[in-house]
Amino acid sequence: MKRKVLSVLLSVTMLASLLTGCGSSSSSTEQAPEAAKEETAAAATEEAATEAPEGTLVYWSMWEATEPQGQAIKEAVDAYSAETGIPVQVEFKGRTGIREGLEPALAAGQQIDLFDEDIDRVNSAFGKYLMDLEELSASNDYEATANAGLMQACRDAGGGTLKSIPYQPNVFAFFYNQDLFDQAGITAVPTTWSEFLDVCQKLKDAGITPMTMDDAYATCLIGYHLGRLVGEDGVRAIVTEGKWDDPAVAQMAKDFEELASKGYFSELVGSNVWPAGQNSELAVGDAAMYLNGSWLPNEVKDIAGEDFNWGCFAYPALDGGKTGTESNNFGAQVYGINKDSKMGAEAFGLIMKITKGEYDQKLSEMSIGIPADSTNSEWPSLVACAKPVMDGSTNRYTWAVGVEANEDMTPIIKENFIKLIAGSCTADEFVQTMQDAAK
Amino acid sequence: MKKNKPMIILFLTPAVLFFLVVFLYPILRTILMSFFHITSITDGIGEWTFRGLSNYINLFQTSLFRQSCWNLFRIWLYGGIIVLSLSLLFGVILTSGIRFKKVFRAIIYLPNIVSAVALATMWLQYVYSPKFGLLKSFFTALHLDSLAKIQWLDNDHKFYALLFAYCFGMVGYHMLIWCSGIERISPEYYEAATIDGAGKFAQFRFITRPLLKGVFKTNVTMWTVTSMAFFVWSQLFSTVTADTQTIVPTSYLYIKMFGAGNTVTDRDAGVSAAIGVILALVVVLVFTACNKLIKDDDLEF
Repeated sequence: MKRKVLSVLLSVTMLASLLTGCGSSSSSTEQAPEAAKEETAAAATEEAATEAPEGTLVYWSMWEATEPQGQAIKEAVDAYSAETGIPVQVEFKGRTGIREGLEPALAAGQQIDLFDEDIDRVNSAFGKYLMDLEELSASNDYEATANAGLMQACRDAGGGTLKSIPYQPNVFAFFYNQDLFDQAGITAVPTTWSEFLDVCQKLKDAGITPMTMDDAYATCLIGYHLGRLVGEDGVRAIVTEGKWDDPAVAQMAKDFEELASKGYFSELVGSNVWPAGQNSELAVGDAAMYLNGSWLPNEVKDIAGEDFNWGCFAYPALDGGKTGTESNNFGAQVYGINKDSKMGAEAFGLIMKITKGEYDQKLSEMSIGIPADSTNSEWPSLVACAKPVMDGSTNRYTWAVGVEANEDMTPIIKENFIKLIAGSCTADEFVQTMQDAAK
Repeated sequence: MKKNKPMIILFLTPAVLFFLVVFLYPILRTILMSFFHITSITDGIGEWTFRGLSNYINLFQTSLFRQSCWNLFRIWLYGGIIVLSLSLLFGVILTSGIRFKKVFRAIIYLPNIVSAVALATMWLQYVYSPKFGLLKSFFTALHLDSLAKIQWLDNDHKFYALLFAYCFGMVGYHMLIWCSGIERISPEYYEAATIDGAGKFAQFRFITRPLLKGVFKTNVTMWTVTSMAFFVWSQLFSTVTADTQTIVPTSYLYIKMFGAGNTVTDRDAGVSAAIGVILALVVVLVFTACNKLIKDDDLEF
């Protein structure tokens, strides 16, 4: 009998400990509001995994806390909390954390008032969780000092209405080493393909490798070239409908075959795994040009140094092409507010704090990025070269001009295109391989 | 022993419930999901569209998925041969009574405790670098210019570059399993064999090898399980966009589940679930084949 009692007691203890283990998070949230009352608003902004007490804004950020963007945003958040008394719980999730974890958390009804990520991902993948921001934007006169092109891009991505607020704008273009251009006697940036070939030849004649590329961005090169010829819709049709017999594909392949055969690409372009090309070729002055986003000067600043003389020009126009240098892949990170948030106005206030005035400028300076506030007209010197391209961009391409729209083909396009620019396959072989692969 | 049914039920219930909720339910749900089109993993069952076996059929008709399976098969087979034979060699050497055994064991195991991200960065940006890489410097010093010129990360060599880097980090783990198996064998067998005039190789062939059958089975199963979950190295060797030479089923699964690269692409959690089911079946298949082919219950020691 004694043993029976002991067994029952042990079982109850085990079950109790199991239940205590399961219930620990709910008990800690019960205590949280009490604890929160004693905390200062600024202290509450610290990263925490616990459920937020009522009245706290919860912001899931795509940045890491250690990145310049994360640090600048943290300062803005602290300032917002100090001014308004509204505690903000920032969770720096990083790109992967947002991509993998945000949607399940939103679907589970977890309190997340605002979040950020790339313009296209926020508006499509997370689109059904977004609050319409037209009213909040109008009542705060947000657009008076915003980049009109980006606001329009947000409306386009949001299906005609404003569901996201852009910040950290970026533009994808050729970045180059001005000192090497000067050394080769190049006085003007190329705007057409023939001018581009002249620039490459002058660099080559001066003993300079005209350009390099990394595997991660190779698809942007083919995307831009095809996009200039047939526009983004045309590029998407080629990759999703298998229209690799389009004459534009053959022309693109011939153009790159010519670049490769004339030695305009670095010899290492066939094996550059990001960031080898940008770090050990462009940043150290071994190659002159690199097609990339305006985040490049920030990424390589520790290698290139503060005195690196950056230049930038839009992907050149092609003869008979459908789009010209006014069409570029520009975009931004964007903020979205959860449609179920009870603190929409407060969340918008925090977005204003981060994307306007002092803290927008600070974010721009710390991350060597482009300011979102149009009154912050002074761009950081390292990225100021991209201003003419950004200002001249009136038509927006999405990432890689849509050439990555078919996920089953992207790695095959990448492999064969890299072979083409490395000179290990011919234009005809490239076209034939792509046609076969699309069958 | 007297059986006390209520007590058995009482003690087993928490564990059984835990197993049902945490293991069995996700497994059954994943199998069910693999027959549907599901845009987002969080979609409710009402939003699923029944597809029958078409997820499986489409997968095997997609050249990229077939390529990812081929890559994984090569990693499993070539990598398995390299890792298991090297680790066995090290295991035999380390248990043969050499000096500084602990130091060597620690050195060989070290890559296992270094983050895969750090290791992959070392291989990608240093060892394989065609500008200043370890291999380039090594072959240049030996005046083997044709080898020094090889671009180890180009399309022709990238798979083997990945395989070698991955194997480097896996040898230590399997070596420890071999060591534990060898140390279980009584030294008396070796002493008797030595007295009978058997050399080290004969001892390995007639004593160690037959008595390690069970450990071999464990090693093959462990290798298969870790190979099926091969993911991080694939991602690290092809950042942003996937690569034909490094893509494996799990990275294809990720693309289908969360979208590819920076472009927003169609997502289908149903296809991802189908890939998960296929991989699980492969593990079961290999495990069953191992059990059928390798009989280790005929020896007692």
